[in-house]
Amino acid sequence: MIGRLVRSLGWHLQRPVYFGLVLVTTLFCLSLLSVALQDGGLSALEIVLLVLYSILMLWISASFWTAAIGFLVLLLRRWMGQRSTAQPLGLEGIAADCRTVLVMPIYNEDPERVFAGLRAIYEDLGAAGVQDHFEIFILSDTRDPSLWLQEEILWRRWAESLGSPPRVFYRNRPENTARKSGNIADFCRQWGARYRYMIVLDADSLMSAATIIEMVRRMEADPRLALLQVPPVPVNRVSFFARMLQFASSLYGQMFAAGLAFWQQDTANFWGHNAIIRVRPFADHCGLPRLPGREPFGGDILSHDFVEAALLARAGWKLCLAWDLTGSYEEIPPTLIDYAKRDRRWCQGNLQHARLIMAQGFQSLSRIHFAMGVMSYAASPLWLLFLIATGLEAYFKGLHRPVYFFGYNVMPIWPQYYVVEMTTVLWVTLALLFLPKLLALILLAIDRTQARRFGGIGRASLSALIESLFSVLLAPVLMLFQSKFVAAILLRTSVGWPAQQRGDHQTAFLEALGAHGGQTLLGLAVGYVAYTRVPDFFWWFTPVLAGILLAIPVSILTSRVDLGLWARRWGLFLTPAETEPPAILQRLEEQLNRPSPVDWTPASAGMTPASQPFWVQAVLDPRIYALHDALLQNEPQNRRRRHILEGLVFQLQDEGEDSLNLREKRALLSHRDGLFLLHTRLWAAPNPPGRPPRLSQ
Amino acid sequence: MGQGVGDPLASLESPPAPEELVSADRPAIEGRVRLYLEALGVQATDELERLTQQVIERVEFRSRVGRLGEPLEAAIEEVQFLLDQWLLTELGIDNDPDRLAAARAAVLDGQPPGWTRRWAGLGHEPLAESIITAWIPAVPPPAPLAMDPNPIELCCHRLAGRLVQGFRKVLKLLDERRCVRQQVRKP
Repeated sequence: MIGRLVRSLGWHLQRPVYFGLVLVTTLFCLSLLSVALQDGGLSALEIVLLVLYSILMLWISASFWTAAIGFLVLLLRRWMGQRSTAQPLGLEGIAADCRTVLVMPIYNEDPERVFAGLRAIYEDLGAAGVQDHFEIFILSDTRDPSLWLQEEILWRRWAESLGSPPRVFYRNRPENTARKSGNIADFCRQWGARYRYMIVLDADSLMSAATIIEMVRRMEADPRLALLQVPPVPVNRVSFFARMLQFASSLYGQMFAAGLAFWQQDTANFWGHNAIIRVRPFADHCGLPRLPGREPFGGDILSHDFVEAALLARAGWKLCLAWDLTGSYEEIPPTLIDYAKRDRRWCQGNLQHARLIMAQGFQSLSRIHFAMGVMSYAASPLWLLFLIATGLEAYFKGLHRPVYFFGYNVMPIWPQYYVVEMTTVLWVTLALLFLPKLLALILLAIDRTQARRFGGIGRASLSALIESLFSVLLAPVLMLFQSKFVAAILLRTSVGWPAQQRGDHQTAFLEALGAHGGQTLLGLAVGYVAYTRVPDFFWWFTPVLAGILLAIPVSILTSRVDLGLWARRWGLFLTPAETEPPAILQRLEEQLNRPSPVDWTPASAGMTPASQPFWVQAVLDPRIYALHDALLQNEPQNRRRRHILEGLVFQLQDEGEDSLNLREKRALLSHRDGLFLLHTRLWAAPNPPGRPPRLSQ
Repeated sequence: MGQGVGDPLASLESPPAPEELVSADRPAIEGRVRLYLEALGVQATDELERLTQQVIERVEFRSRVGRLGEPLEAAIEEVQFLLDQWLLTELGIDNDPDRLAAARAAVLDGQPPGWTRRWAGLGHEPLAESIITAWIPAVPPPAPLAMDPNPIELCCHRLAGRLVQGFRKVLKLLDERRCVRQQVRKP
């Protein structure tokens, strides 16, 4: 009874404790800074400085206390003798009629990687003997015609190998309305009632069978739980940049996740993938409206996950973060430039949430999630403004010459210095930024098994040190990138939604020059002005300046795969996924190494030269044509459409593939009559067809 | 200006006689039909012979009734029509485009073995059952759920507009009162 009371009290105190700590830390630093600034009264610039500092301090202290609390949670857990949550493989606690679907919404992704990942997961479920309870649904929004056909071929080969009853499904949406959220909503509308749960995966997601089963078990155990998010660990990239990020995420990730779960409690957030969702409440409450107004703030909700989580919480459902579950993986962008590109896509969606913070009916914590989402990008321009304001303040202070003698006083009046206050502010800020890394290393030091997986505590510490140095160099570059994105969005310039380049590749000099050239010039100009006009400020400014000036070489260097592999040989940035690869990662590797079911050799002669794209060659193959035709929906005959499609076929044959835009190419493949025309016309061309790509049996 | 329109129209006015076309292009048509049949999976010589013959007969018939169009295109079309016709008969279905497309995809994928022999009329074992089971559906049967957009009431949305509207209302009210007062003052 008393124990339950204490637990209940503790449960209710968790959020006040966390937010209290964040607030006290911010107020403490703010008071020190305001004491130092208010000498002689506060100018408008100093008020701006204080406001910016308060917002930024709230942001970094929120992050710090999340990590610190996570550290304590993990320490307590270890002290109580629990190392990791056992994840039994059986179906105990799961109803016999419980059917779960793994949905993977894709948009112009590498089909080989998509299917290799799904096959690895399904194989893992097979090894656990639970395949019968799971189905896989590939929800394609792919627009690229060649990728579309490849997806169908890969689906067919896989479905064929599994036999009956079918458990792997595929559909391509005619229109990608409302992007990813619309894709999942379309799935729910058509097949949602078939499943109790859906596990949402990203194109590069990977989850072990043990984790998947445990997720279902937890959902079954709590009928009010609508969403369970498992934090994904980044894996599989080998560039220096990616390995550094993978190491950092593996080392600090669980600590942060434990801290997040502490204060989020049952109003956790949805991260868009690697989460299990109860389908019925999701369909009931997560249909997203279009926001009034035009893009970038109006229109479709881009970062749908936060909003869906908020809608579920608004309806009274529980959402939890399963920080203690492992076996959840994702892949990250391999280079700094790709990372920035991903940020560009996410930035618009997150800033859109600014309109939702004060929307009616949401829970307070959902509003905080929205605000944090906004801050994850707004922080950069705020830091930039803070730096500019600090430089200006230093310049104006520099103009002011101290007067030691007033009137007839013979004794000098010494100006007051606030070195102690300013140094404390600096040290506290640095501690908030870097202490979490130290806390993670302390956790590692007391867990020898885990330390060995990171290559030993010595190498892990050295890796953390190098990672910290690079993060100092990379932070200003990302700050400039994100500030640019935010400015573009505020100026109502839509940033689009391009597909991500996920595979390892290195940044060339010209690419780096294009991406960072402007930043370097800006750094040179600002550095010169600071050195000549505010020399005192210049030296404080050098860490930021160094990052900006070295952006081009750092971007090229960190993108290098050989450097990443060299670091691995030297035991740097090692992660448990590298030293002891789990079965699911090995399965993925095996799947990727298997020969492709599509013979990619282009036609050697005739009317389909090697330069022809895959989709044109593929449509020549009667088997691929018939497969694609069978996957299209039947439509009533339409003479006008037929004439348009006929025109496009002639255009393709007479003027080549480049003369058609993406919509036209897709139109040719989207209608049975158009496809028939295309296939027939290609076969009836004056020159006999060469060897079209063939499906291997 | 009229020249550009007139020339193609003139060429349309004098199409070549269909019979001549077929006889002139027969070897080319036969060659292309064979190539296409091989691509469909027909490999045995007797099957190829028989099916090619059937296709040529159909093309000639089209030619006779004046619906040939481009001979090579017509020949490829006829191969497909022949295949579809056989599938409809074999499966006993009445022009169901989805089932027909599924059956076509199944047989062209090589399932069931020996289908080409049956198509050429040289095999006697019915294949309907195995053709139907060979096709794996891409999606499960529909199991719809309603998922309507949930309203999100934005705070301060069109605040300026609302303020202006409110201000107008107040002005209108004041104006009405002024009118009433003036009317009251009038004797």
